[in-house]
Amino acid sequence: MITLHDVTKIYTVSKEVTVPAVRNASLHIDKGEFVIITGRSGSGKTTLLNLVAGLTRPTLGEVRFDGIEVWKLPDQEQSLLRNQRIGFVFQFPSLLPSLTSLENVMLPKMFGPDNDQQEVQPRAKSLLEQVGLSDKLHAYPRQLSGGQQQRVVVARALMNEPELLLADEPTSDLDEQTEHEIMALFQDIHARTGVTALLVTHAVELGRYGTRSIQMAGGEIVTG
Amino acid sequence: MNLIRFATRNIAGNAFRSWMVFFCATLMAAFVVSATLIIGGANDSLRLALDRLGADIIVIPDGHEQRLEAALLMGIPVHCWMPDTVVDEVAKVEGVEAVSPQLYLSTLRGATCCSVPEMFLIAYEPETDFTLRPWLEQNLEGGLALGEAVGGSLVYVPEADGELLVYGYGLDLKGSLDPTGTGLDQSMFFTFETAFDIARLSPDQAVKVMDIPPRTISSVMVKVDLRTDPHQVAQAIDAAIPGVTPLETNRLFKGQREQIVSLLNSVVVLLVITWVLAMALIAVVFSLAVNERRRHIGVMRALGASRTTVLQSLLLEAGVLALAGGGAGIFVSFLAIYLFRPLIIRLMEVPFLFPAPLHLAGLALGALALAMLGVTAAALIPALRISLQDPAISMRE
Repeated sequence: MITLHDVTKIYTVSKEVTVPAVRNASLHIDKGEFVIITGRSGSGKTTLLNLVAGLTRPTLGEVRFDGIEVWKLPDQEQSLLRNQRIGFVFQFPSLLPSLTSLENVMLPKMFGPDNDQQEVQPRAKSLLEQVGLSDKLHAYPRQLSGGQQQRVVVARALMNEPELLLADEPTSDLDEQTEHEIMALFQDIHARTGVTALLVTHAVELGRYGTRSIQMAGGEIVTG
Repeated sequence: MNLIRFATRNIAGNAFRSWMVFFCATLMAAFVVSATLIIGGANDSLRLALDRLGADIIVIPDGHEQRLEAALLMGIPVHCWMPDTVVDEVAKVEGVEAVSPQLYLSTLRGATCCSVPEMFLIAYEPETDFTLRPWLEQNLEGGLALGEAVGGSLVYVPEADGELLVYGYGLDLKGSLDPTGTGLDQSMFFTFETAFDIARLSPDQAVKVMDIPPRTISSVMVKVDLRTDPHQVAQAIDAAIPGVTPLETNRLFKGQREQIVSLLNSVVVLLVITWVLAMALIAVVFSLAVNERRRHIGVMRALGASRTTVLQSLLLEAGVLALAGGGAGIFVSFLAIYLFRPLIIRLMEVPFLFPAPLHLAGLALGALALAMLGVTAAALIPALRISLQDPAISMRE
């Protein structure tokens, strides 16, 4: 489903200073896999995830999604691919503060071609029920706990029934109990929907939740 | 959820940015509307006043030029007399097509025999008149009879009196002329016959006699042949008839015109400064707001918003704020200028006519379009910059 071929990403800080974030990474993820990428802070995990998602252009190499080279697509088509086929869960609080939980979950539909409110709202409500937040439909992000916010983000990621679910440190700011709940939620979603999942975390012990674990260090894939 | 609803929610969620842009849009629109209204109103007022006179040249006794302008502009009565033989002498000048004499009179101050104190009164000769004739032909077939008058737009019959008293003589007000914004709006017109009748009866009816020296007139209105230059005719009158001054109407109100031009120049400079500063402020505030929302814009891109959608969404926010701010600016300007008209006229020393509703609507739409264009243009660079940024970079701390 996803293939990274000899991908390198170098960030240019200034004319003289460049930072290689990912070096010569090659990776293939099959449909239905639940891959967990672990590594220390600065190992290049997030950049690798962004490369898979088409959120940053590789300096070298190519990223393919179902055989299509992502960076050869024009912006409109690339955006449509993200909107229709990829769901995102971010490390940072990514809910839009001016929107309620329900509106945040409905957001991906607004950017897509099928934004029929009669269908969108019931689906968003159903997703929020599935993540245990049926009583928080009209709550704003500031009125939710960290765990609840992350559940809304998961519901949002599933709004367009994606084929690929990407999660960047989804449990980094959560306590142990909530971390377990969120990881169990991912496992449950993967088991129920068969979605391909790629989750990035610094916590090596979370590798057990996936079907495959990959380790990164110094911008390179070292195992997996 | 759609882009408009999304934009309004973001506007509500970003109070500082929103209020700043709203304020700038208000200022931008208000300035355009106020400047256009005041300068346009003053210009229209002068133009209408000249049209009302209907003459190419006004011949008056020497030394009364400024007082005649004050009478026409501010309605301050002027009294001047010259022999009625001047009418024939002017008519003989080459290029003169028509002449009509007028008498300039006024009501008394603080006298019970006059309903309105110090009102400028103009008596005309119906047989030769061309100043009032176009209005009379349209509105009052048969013209004015003895004891009848028409007033400027601000002249009305006091309810307590039931009639307009001039030197104790009850005048029947037959109609009101269209507003010009000048002293003509507070003046009254009637025939020579009525003027002489008022004068005749004034010793018995008024506290003071209305004095019209025999065989005199106050001015001669002159219409020039279409093929002749009014300036040449004026020069010819000046040379041929001693003791009179021919005033070319297109050169009347020179001081006021210069005042308007000088006002226009100052306003244009101020307008440019205000707009440049407002647009710079909007650009800075928008840049700050966009920077603050950088991560969330990155999230929008990750969720499938294209560069165009992000740009549209940000410009829509700017557009909605411009619409609201511009609307407020237009409303406040209209209201302030309408309420403070007398103060504006006094401070700027120019006449002023509030435009017709259709003209106002056009002005409002134009100002709104300009405010939207200005605000959107100011927001364009920050919006373009963030929409073109790599989403991963946008999301980084």
